[in-house]
Amino acid sequence: MHYRCVKALHCCHLRLCLYAVALLSLILSNSAAADGLDQIHHRGTLIWGGDQEGGGPYIFPDPKDPQHLIGFEVELADMLAAQLGVKAKFYQGQWEELPQMLDNQIDVALNGFERTPARLRDYLCTRPYYAFGLQLMANRDGPLKSWNQLKSAKPDGGPWRIGVLGGSEADEYLNELHDHQGYPIEAISYSGNTDPMEHVQTGVLDATVADDCVANFYIDRFSKLNLIQWPAQGGYYVALVAHDQPQLLAALNEALGKIIADGRLKALYDRWDLDGRYQMLMLRGAGEAPPAEAISFQQVLLRNLPMLLEAAAMTVFLSVVSFPLAIAIGIAVAIGRMYGPWIVAKPLGLYVEVLRGTPLMLQLFVIFFLLPKIGLALPALIAAIAGLAINYSAYESEIYRAGLQAIPRGQTEAALALGMTQAQAINRIILPQAFRIVIPPVTNDFIALFKDTSVCSVITIVELTKRYSILAQSTGAIVQLAAITAILYMLMSFPLSVFARWSERWLAGESTQ
Amino acid sequence: MIETSNLHKSHGSLAVLRGISLSVAQGEVAAIIGPSGGGKSTFLRCLNGLEPFESGEVRVADRTLLPGSQDHRQLENIRAVRRQLGMVFQQFNLFPHLTVLENVIEAPLRVLKMPREEAEARAKSLLDRVGLAEKMNVRPDKLSGGQQQRVAIARALAMQPKAMLFDEPTSALDPRMTAEVLAVMADLAATGQTMIVVTHAMNFARRAAKTVHVFQEGVVAESGPPEQIFDSPRHPATQEFLRECLG
Repeated sequence: MHYRCVKALHCCHLRLCLYAVALLSLILSNSAAADGLDQIHHRGTLIWGGDQEGGGPYIFPDPKDPQHLIGFEVELADMLAAQLGVKAKFYQGQWEELPQMLDNQIDVALNGFERTPARLRDYLCTRPYYAFGLQLMANRDGPLKSWNQLKSAKPDGGPWRIGVLGGSEADEYLNELHDHQGYPIEAISYSGNTDPMEHVQTGVLDATVADDCVANFYIDRFSKLNLIQWPAQGGYYVALVAHDQPQLLAALNEALGKIIADGRLKALYDRWDLDGRYQMLMLRGAGEAPPAEAISFQQVLLRNLPMLLEAAAMTVFLSVVSFPLAIAIGIAVAIGRMYGPWIVAKPLGLYVEVLRGTPLMLQLFVIFFLLPKIGLALPALIAAIAGLAINYSAYESEIYRAGLQAIPRGQTEAALALGMTQAQAINRIILPQAFRIVIPPVTNDFIALFKDTSVCSVITIVELTKRYSILAQSTGAIVQLAAITAILYMLMSFPLSVFARWSERWLAGESTQ
Repeated sequence: MIETSNLHKSHGSLAVLRGISLSVAQGEVAAIIGPSGGGKSTFLRCLNGLEPFESGEVRVADRTLLPGSQDHRQLENIRAVRRQLGMVFQQFNLFPHLTVLENVIEAPLRVLKMPREEAEARAKSLLDRVGLAEKMNVRPDKLSGGQQQRVAIARALAMQPKAMLFDEPTSALDPRMTAEVLAVMADLAATGQTMIVVTHAMNFARRAAKTVHVFQEGVVAESGPPEQIFDSPRHPATQEFLRECLG
C-alpha cells in the first residue's frame, strides 16, 4: 500500500533540494550510528513514523475525537512498544519520506510498507505483520463483473480506465498485466486511495484496484461501488528499520513473534474486521524473500533516463500549452478591469483575488474532482491545462494591468484624437507597448509555471516530478534520481532565465537611448 | 467651421471654462493666448471630445457635441468630429513602438481604411513637407524633440483634417527646435489650413494668426486681430499678460 499524500507533492522541489543536501552529507559524514535499541530504552519511547493522511484502517483521526489517532497500526505500535518495555510515540511524516527519516527522526517506519526487493536491499525489514490482496472495485451498474473481462476490450472498444494509487503494488500489477500479458487496460495513478473510488462513482473511471483492507474500509462510503470477485495478487506489509540497527530489528521481530504466538495480533485484526484467522494463516506462510541487487549510478541512469525524458516532455507540453492560454485570459481580464464598466470590472477583480488567494492544487482538485459531480468530467490532461491556465491568468492579468498603466495617458489620447476607436487604441497602440514592458515578469512567471506543472500530479498527470517519485519508490535510488531530475529541470529552465535577464537588459538599454 | 457657445467645464469645484463662445471660420488661423490655468488647453480638448463638458455646445462643420455622458450616439459623433480635427500635443505623443512612417500611416489605414500604397505615398509626401522624409524608417526615440513634433504634425495632417488643433506645440522645445516647428506651422497657415493654436510664442501669434483670443480664468477676456491685441490691448487682463510676457 503506497498512499502518496497530496501534501507530499506540494513540496516536491523542496524535497529534491533536501535530497541534494542529503547526498552531500552522505559523502561528507562517516560517523557510525549509535545503538538504536539502547537509545529507545534510555529515552523510554519507541518513535514510529506514519502518515495519518493515508486514512483508514491504518492510521486516522478518530471521527468522534479528531485529536486522537486510531487505526490497526496505532494499536500494533502500542503493542510492539509495550513488548520492548517502552511507550509508543507517533511521528507524523509524508509517507514517501518516512524510510529516509529512519536515520534520525524515527526508530521504525510502520505504515503499510510492502515488502519489495528494493526495500529489502535498502532497509532492514521486519517479518510480515499483515497480508494484503488487490481488490478490484467497479460501478454496481457498470459492465465490469470480473477480472477476466479485463483481458478483452471494453464494450465500446476502448481500454479499461482503472485508477490506482501511484507507484503502489496495484499500479505495478496493472502495468505488468498491460505490458506483459497484453491486457487492454490503462492504469491511471492517483495520489490517494479514495480519489479513484470517487471517480469510479462519477463515471470518470471504469474501475479501481486497491489493497483489500482499504477497499473494505471505504466501500460503505461509495454506495454505487461493488467489490468485484476475490482479491488477486498480494503481498505483505513489513515495518522498516535503518540498515545499521540489527538489534532493533531482532527485538521487533521477537515482539511480533510474541504477539502472533499469544493471539494478541489475531484479536487486534478481529477488532478491526480484518479476519484474524486468515491473517494468521497467511503470516505463517510468509517466508524469506530475496533483496534486490545493488545498482550503480550508471545503471540507474540508463534504466530510468528514457522514462524521465518522456515525463520531461509532458512537463514541457503542459507549460507551452497552458501558458499562452493564461496570457490570453490574463490580457482579457486586465483590459476588462481597466476599460470595462464596473459590472464587468468588479467580477473580474473578484476572479483575480479568488485565484490568487487559493492554492493551485485546490483549484486542480475542484476542476478534476468536483466538476464531475455536476456532470462535467474533464480528462486529466485537459483539467491540468485548464487549471494551470486559469490559475496563472490571474497573475498575468495583474502583470498586464501594471504594464497597461505604465503607458502614458497621452498615447491613448493621441490615438483617440486621430479618430481611432477605444478598441483600436488598445489593440494597436497600448497593448503592443505594454507587451514589451511585461516581457521580463512574464518570462519569470513562465519559469514558475514550468515548475508548478509538478502540482498536476495530484490529478493523475505523470510529469517529471511524479515520474521521479514513482521511480524513486520502485528502485530505491532516491538520491541519484533526484540529482538527474534536478539537472533535467535546470537544463529546461536555465535558457528561460537567460532570456528573462537578457530581455531586462535589452529593455533597460533601449529606454536610455 | 468651428463654433462654441457658452461652454462650461469644471474639475470638481474648480470652474475651468466659464462660458466660452468663440468661432473660427474656414481657412482662419486663430491663436489662443493667456496666462497658465486660463483654460486654453481644456478648451482645445473639449473641441475634439477628449474632455467632456457640463453645458453649452461645440459645433464642428456639420456635427454638434453636447454636454453630459458619452452614450453610443455621442461616441459616434465624437469620432466623426475627431476625424475632422487634427491635434498636435505639447508632448508630441508619437507612438514609440512604430517607425516614423508607421506613425503617420496608422490612422489612415485603420480609421479611413485607405489602401496601404496610397497611405504610404501620402505619408512620404507629408514627411517631405515637414523635412523628415529621410527619417521615415527610424523610431521616434532616435529623433530630436523638434523632429518628433514635426512628425506629429505630419501624422495629424495624414487624416486630411478640416482643421488643426495645436496644444502648446513648442512649450517642450528649446528655441532652435521651436523655430523649426513654427516654420512648419507658418507654411501650413500659408496654405489656408484652418488652425487653432494655443501658444506662448507671441511672435508666431502676431505673424501667422488672423484672430487672437486672450483667455483668462475660463473666459475670453478679449478677441481681435493681432495688431489690436498686441499693440493696443483694451482689457486690463490682456495688458497685464502682455507686460509679463514681453517684459
